[in-house]
Amino acid sequence: MNASEKPTLITPEILKGTRDFLPKDMAKREYVMDKIRSVFVRFGYDTIETPAIEYTRTLLGNYGEEGSKLMYRFKDNGDRDIALRYDQTVPFARLVAANYQNLPMPFKRYQISRVWRADKPAKGRYREFYQCDIDVIGTASLLAEAEVAAVMFRVFEALGFPRFVIKFNSRRLMNSIMDDLGIEAGIQKNVIRSLDKLDKIGREGVKKEMMSFLEEARCDLVFDVVLQEGTNAEKLKALSRYSTEEIQLFLEKAAAFGVLEFDVSLARGLDYYTGITFEAFLPDVAIGAVCAGGRYDDLCSLFCKEKFSGVGVAFGFDRLVVAMEQLELLKNAQLNAQILVTYFDDATLPNSLTILRNLQADGLNAEVYFEPASLSKQMKYADKKEIPFVVICGPDELAKEEVMIKIMKTGQQKSIPQNQLTSYFKGYVFS
Amino acid sequence: MNTISPFSSLRIAVQSRGRLREESLNFLRSLGLEFEDDGRLMLSCRNIALDIIFLRNEDIPEYVSRGACDFGIVGENILEEKNVCVELLYRLDFAQCALVLAAPRSSEVKGLKDLEGARIATSYPETLRRYLQQCGISAAVIVLRGSVEIAPQLNLADAICDLTQTGSTLREHDLVPFETLLDSHAVLIESPFRRSQRSLFVSRIPSL
Repeated sequence: MNASEKPTLITPEILKGTRDFLPKDMAKREYVMDKIRSVFVRFGYDTIETPAIEYTRTLLGNYGEEGSKLMYRFKDNGDRDIALRYDQTVPFARLVAANYQNLPMPFKRYQISRVWRADKPAKGRYREFYQCDIDVIGTASLLAEAEVAAVMFRVFEALGFPRFVIKFNSRRLMNSIMDDLGIEAGIQKNVIRSLDKLDKIGREGVKKEMMSFLEEARCDLVFDVVLQEGTNAEKLKALSRYSTEEIQLFLEKAAAFGVLEFDVSLARGLDYYTGITFEAFLPDVAIGAVCAGGRYDDLCSLFCKEKFSGVGVAFGFDRLVVAMEQLELLKNAQLNAQILVTYFDDATLPNSLTILRNLQADGLNAEVYFEPASLSKQMKYADKKEIPFVVICGPDELAKEEVMIKIMKTGQQKSIPQNQLTSYFKGYVFS
Repeated sequence: MNTISPFSSLRIAVQSRGRLREESLNFLRSLGLEFEDDGRLMLSCRNIALDIIFLRNEDIPEYVSRGACDFGIVGENILEEKNVCVELLYRLDFAQCALVLAAPRSSEVKGLKDLEGARIATSYPETLRRYLQQCGISAAVIVLRGSVEIAPQLNLADAICDLTQTGSTLREHDLVPFETLLDSHAVLIESPFRRSQRSLFVSRIPSL
């Protein structure tokens, strides 16, 4: 490069629909993720990881036409047809097909990782986002559905949402309704995909879409059946001529786990669902479904001859964070450092480092300032990092074997014997 | 082993050693229960199917909450500290005491507000923590099993939170109480797993 030539600066920008997260945002996200993970773990789920990139043929054809359109797909340097992970369920099915002989059966796992969709970015809709999934595979027992519903219930409870609704339906029931209405098998998928948009575009929008493949009278018949009002029992009674056995059995098993709402219009657009389907909503935040999934009977059949019936749900992590922010449920999310040990001068630094090491050894998150800067500068640093305590040990304190604690919230300063520091912080009650 | 069956005798837990023991037994005698206090850890009443079990004070709420004993007599201070699921049946008129905050006479700590950031020594950490949070005070709770009064003198604490009956122990250590967390009595508690024969005992308590 010519010395006189100024290097062209690259604009530090990121792709639309993707995000950078600064520490304060990450503290909130980690807080939410830890809560979700702790519920998964409480139910005995272990985790796995799959690659971000897969062969396109592995993923394609699993998500319906719309899914295929939204898949990030490219040729790599070796001219291979590659796609980015679109959800965690299909790679999971691929992993099970390749490893089932070594896995405990039924196999259950949780997975928290990024997925990518070339969707139009909108509020709460990103091109790169996290999914938090649980799946149980290798059993047809409805107890698995009941457990999945229980996990949903406990996650929303753990996150502190005052109100949430877990809706469920049965794909088997929907098919039986459509058979009864004389809707051809080939068209049923389309009806389900249109109904999936009921929350987004409303009854009229869905009807307009359905009329492109179904006569108007039949559309109205569909709405008459699926838009049921009343309690779960009342809805079941009204639908008694259709296959409702699965719903009844599921409700019996799920009774111990929490309140669920049977919604006959609930339609998951993805093709692979075969039995019970779920969707969860937060009535206080208009953000759409925050968790969804269901029973899929034939997913692994694309990858192996063995049949594995499975059930699972994905939590929309980003939506949950947005909703919690809106409902002010993230006040307890904290940055990591609890204590800043100041660098007073070079003579006292070894003692300060001993203090630091002892605090850390006792399980407290502590850091030292890197330069012997003015105390006011070090305080500002602590303030910016939202560190609640600053420990100062200059020559005067050192001579008395004391330390000065500055409590950042009140600005109060307090001297205590150096060897009581840990018990002070460990016993501290934040009010 | 004597596991509890629906038909076995009622059990009431009483403090094995300490200031509640004698008064608890007197209360049971006043209800007409006949038994011989021969120092064993379990006594059977002569006139009704009820056993008296002697336990450590702090263990009584646990036994009763789990249904290993049907009833218990315990200080309210212990009940508050353990925060377990039991039913408070009856407040008894003995073992009065108070859980107070106190500081040395010479100290700058004169009231609740002065506790902000302070070290408080106590054997009742849960009660104290809850109280501080209710009052919006942030402070360090230093947990000690006993001899709490001595902690300020040894510069282990700025204040203490401890039980007092007459206030004489506080005075001896030059400590001035400035806040009462709890006025405590002995209380009769019952397990959440009520058994049908409970009325054998409960019916003897005049005001229940």
